[in-house]
Amino acid sequence: MKPSEVLVLAVLVVCQAAVAQETADGGSGHEAAEQPTRQAGGGEQAPGKKPRHRDRPKKKPPEQSPVEVVITAPRPLSRDNTGDEVLVEGQQLARSPQDSMLEALAREDANVYVPARGVLHGIASGATGSIHMRGLGGSPNTQVLVVEDGVPDYQGIFGHPIPDAYLPFLVDRVLLVKGGDSVLYGNNAMGGAVVIRSRWLESPGCQLLADSSWGSYFTQRQVAGLLANLGSWDLAAAFVAMSSDGHRDGAGGRQLVGISAARYRFANGLRLVLRNKFVHLKGADPGPASHPFADHWFAVWRDNAALQLSWRPAGVRLETRLYANSGVHRLYDGFYSVDYVAGGALEATLYLHPGYRLLLGLAAETAGGRVEDRSSGERPTVRSLSDTSCYQQFQLRPVEELELVVGARALLQASYGTALLYKGGLRWLLGGGFALRTRLARNFRHPTIRELYLPFPTANPGLRPEHSLNWDLGASYQSRHLEIRCTVYRTAADDLIKYFGSWPTAEVVNIDHIVIWGVEARVALRKLGPFSFFLAGNWQDVGRYTRQNPSAKMNFGLQARWPLGRQAIAARLEGQWVHGLYMADYGRRPLDDVFVVDASLRYRYRLPGRGLVLEPYLLLRNLLDNRYAYIEDYLMPGLNFSAGLRLEM
Amino acid sequence: MAGLLLGALVLGGCEDIYPEVVVVNRTGEKILLRNASFSGCLWQQVLAFGESSSPGRCLPGEDRVHFQKLDVGSYCQQQAEDGTIDGVCACSQGQCLPADSDPDLVNERPLWFNYQTVTSYRVGYGEFHLVEITCEDWEQDFSVPGPYGH
Repeated sequence: MKPSEVLVLAVLVVCQAAVAQETADGGSGHEAAEQPTRQAGGGEQAPGKKPRHRDRPKKKPPEQSPVEVVITAPRPLSRDNTGDEVLVEGQQLARSPQDSMLEALAREDANVYVPARGVLHGIASGATGSIHMRGLGGSPNTQVLVVEDGVPDYQGIFGHPIPDAYLPFLVDRVLLVKGGDSVLYGNNAMGGAVVIRSRWLESPGCQLLADSSWGSYFTQRQVAGLLANLGSWDLAAAFVAMSSDGHRDGAGGRQLVGISAARYRFANGLRLVLRNKFVHLKGADPGPASHPFADHWFAVWRDNAALQLSWRPAGVRLETRLYANSGVHRLYDGFYSVDYVAGGALEATLYLHPGYRLLLGLAAETAGGRVEDRSSGERPTVRSLSDTSCYQQFQLRPVEELELVVGARALLQASYGTALLYKGGLRWLLGGGFALRTRLARNFRHPTIRELYLPFPTANPGLRPEHSLNWDLGASYQSRHLEIRCTVYRTAADDLIKYFGSWPTAEVVNIDHIVIWGVEARVALRKLGPFSFFLAGNWQDVGRYTRQNPSAKMNFGLQARWPLGRQAIAARLEGQWVHGLYMADYGRRPLDDVFVVDASLRYRYRLPGRGLVLEPYLLLRNLLDNRYAYIEDYLMPGLNFSAGLRLEM
Repeated sequence: MAGLLLGALVLGGCEDIYPEVVVVNRTGEKILLRNASFSGCLWQQVLAFGESSSPGRCLPGEDRVHFQKLDVGSYCQQQAEDGTIDGVCACSQGQCLPADSDPDLVNERPLWFNYQTVTSYRVGYGEFHLVEITCEDWEQDFSVPGPYGH
């Protein structure tokens, strides 16, 4: 027997033993009653309180001994229902034909734009994967914050996340907070926030996952994952390895990601969570297709670690987080950097009265590192950036149909003084499935170390922080089969940091004031027999700053699922159209519209008796074999495919 | 039918049916070309007159051939006039002329200039193209794009 088989067997034996012990104990180890129940409106109920009337079972069970109904549901991901938010299931992202999770997210919402250049996004010059929302974000890849399990994820020096580091296999849900929310999430959540929550196994047992795929350009992806719920312990782990030759010379690379997490549930409601994620990327910038680069390689090692402690006595929820994120980046031209971000937060949620909730928080964060050009020996002086903030959010529901949210954050930074951020929102359930909502939020981003100090290509220590005032107004209708949403938004930003020109005459400066108006809409038809469909569109007037800031985008998805007893067949067709793309501001260097259609076909079969699920699948990308590019002269692959097999046990 | 579809997908997705392109230097006996590129392909080799590159699998589509050019004849003549090579000089009527260049302006490193073909070539899946670069079909290439900062 091979060592890997021995390891899998050992894990299975441990899991089965734990499940057997759990059964013998009557399942008492699972303290689900301490978890808040999920509300229809996405709200959260106070821990320890009785569920509301609509959550109670309507019929009593037949004449039996009293049955304890245990409702298990994780806490809602959204903490502000007045925001324009879209919730995406992690497993939907995991089954997407897209190469990266951020691209898969961009296919779910027309207001999210993520450019790509091939199988990897990469880092440094020529990289893609920046997230754009509400006319903000992009180059540099900031202004949209990614929050992973409550922890802001960005590099200390460059101030943005690594787009290739997100893998959906252990993601429970992703919340897209459009319009940002610096009150709740702090620095960088200007145009939006991508809030990721990882999966846990909520019922006792053990789940193993393996996914192997092979496809065009010798692209191979291997995934092994484990989720376990063993008494008071929850475990989650995944290892992903990907390698590809790329669709053109220099576009290939390797990706290794390892995620491990453990959660211990104490008897008194205390929970301790430890997480770690390491990422290794190796690839290259292939350069423009007409003038390719030779061996413009990059190599990245990063590690994120976080510790979370939460406690839920009656009427209050306390949570503290400590985190550290560090990495080493090396480039072909001698660039070498070591960076870190470390911080912590302390939050208390007070359930004052049914419908009234107060969130209080304290947060502190520091980012720094060192940089050198190993070819010239140059070592720019880099100063670390630190900030401290306190914030609060008050939610009140005077009547069932009306929800009001107000919040404020005072963010103190040594270089820039105190920034006062605020927000206010309202959601009104009109009845019959109709709802109105509006929100105004003042958001913030301070300059990154790169913008302040690194002369690659230029820096400006005199930069001021960016501020934005985001407003939106939305109406929605929702029924069992139909969802219609429409939102008008306005983004007004001051002191945005922009790069102009190119080396050696490049400069990075604050620009004065810009206003972006836009409108987005979404129509979704759900569960019409085996079919579901959505169509989403976004139009925005971005003014003069047109660089990688498209004026229009549409997405559609048509999916069908046919359950056949132990088997199921699922098919999905999705597409994206991007219009008004430019490579420069002021409408210069226009790009052709992007239109791309992808498809996936899956067959799922549950083996009788053994709990093993086999899921062979086929992913087809660029079905129409269109020649398109998000970045000028970085042509995307033509028709290509992946075929794989997913196993669950 | 399913096999045909699968075969078409495999072929359509694989690099092996990308168009194959070879570049040949037909410019002049004293002209060297290097770093020729076309639609995602880069040949990091120096092509003397008459030499051809190795076949490259390029992206389907349309592009010009971009390359760097060195006129070795002009370079040698300039070096002779500058007197940078011992025993080599510019001469007139059998007499060696003294170098009269300002030493601060003398450049001994050969300068490779960016050029491209005037003609654009369209290539498709499964095709083979042999592109001959000639002096009648080139122009200076100012299209080298700047880096896309991230």
